[in-house]
Amino acid sequence: MELESGNQACSYIIQSQEEEIKRAALELHESINQNLYTLQTGLNFIESGIEQPELRNYAKEMSGLMERTIREVRLLSVELYPNTLSTLGLTAAVKSYAKLFTNTFGILIDVESQGGEKLLSDPESLAAFRVCQEALINIAKYADTDKAKIAFTWGEFSVKIEIKDTGKGFDTNEVMESGRSMGIAAMGERMRLVGGQCNLSSELDKGTTVSIVLPIQS
Amino acid sequence: MEPLKALILTECDRLKHGIPCDFVGVALQNRNNPDITWPYAIGNRNDKHKYITVRYGKGIAGKVISSGTPMEITDFPETILGKITDYPIMLAEKLVAAYSVPLVWNDLPKGALLIGYRHARKFDEQEKQNLREVAQHLESFLSSHFTDE
Repeated sequence: MELESGNQACSYIIQSQEEEIKRAALELHESINQNLYTLQTGLNFIESGIEQPELRNYAKEMSGLMERTIREVRLLSVELYPNTLSTLGLTAAVKSYAKLFTNTFGILIDVESQGGEKLLSDPESLAAFRVCQEALINIAKYADTDKAKIAFTWGEFSVKIEIKDTGKGFDTNEVMESGRSMGIAAMGERMRLVGGQCNLSSELDKGTTVSIVLPIQS
Repeated sequence: MEPLKALILTECDRLKHGIPCDFVGVALQNRNNPDITWPYAIGNRNDKHKYITVRYGKGIAGKVISSGTPMEITDFPETILGKITDYPIMLAEKLVAAYSVPLVWNDLPKGALLIGYRHARKFDEQEKQNLREVAQHLESFLSSHFTDE
């Protein structure tokens, strides 16, 4: 009974956080950034009507800063919640994130997909996406490798996703016992909440594989 | 090797052996947008720096360029502000200490010169001054990066 209510609380906290993150991301993208874009268009219009060179240059600088800000806000919005998840699906969202990840950490990610992609519910695809994200961040932090692979295998009733690196690996028992495994536990919890499974295997000097299996609701 | 690359790498190599340190990197803003890359590195353990692109204001290089002031990290990740993933070059090269100064072109900070160590350490005034002098020398090469010269 106690365990069940603990799981429900955990599920509620994760869902509330995700909803709030999504709300903030959409607000940044659809409201704040649209306003900034309108302001930038106005600044460009004002700039074209200014005759004094100093003031004209100043308006141009302001317009450049506004352009940078629009880009920052757009990237922040995508970092918080990838809109492609609802529009183009999980594989496209992971591919897009993998590109951003390579640009950030210099680690090349090979994304492979076998079988026809099936439609997942929003919570399912978001959970799978967050696990991929967490696994990649762990690679950047600890694996000491310059490449990794994400493989999707779409079956009729489930999808399997493997995030594999050939980095330095670690002793799983030691990490679990040391209490430094909160990220790993969070990946497992996210999958459990949507009816999936998450397994991790690692071998010293050989690398780490995070494997998730998610049932597909017909 | 193209002339600019050869010139900058020669300076970086001289700096790496002169100090001595484990890693020397030069980050530069792109010509057409404010993004920053690490086109030149000496003492690198891998090629990750070639693929890293940091946004203006982000990462060590982005912060040094946007603020126009040097940045010092003495014991990564213990002494940093923010998350360890905010410092991709430190993670990529397994650096523990780094000092970076801006590279100025046309009166604007447009790049960063960084020296790094794979162990914790502090930087004294003499080392900081030496790095500023090398940075000034490197600045004289930047025209060919930012123009068609």
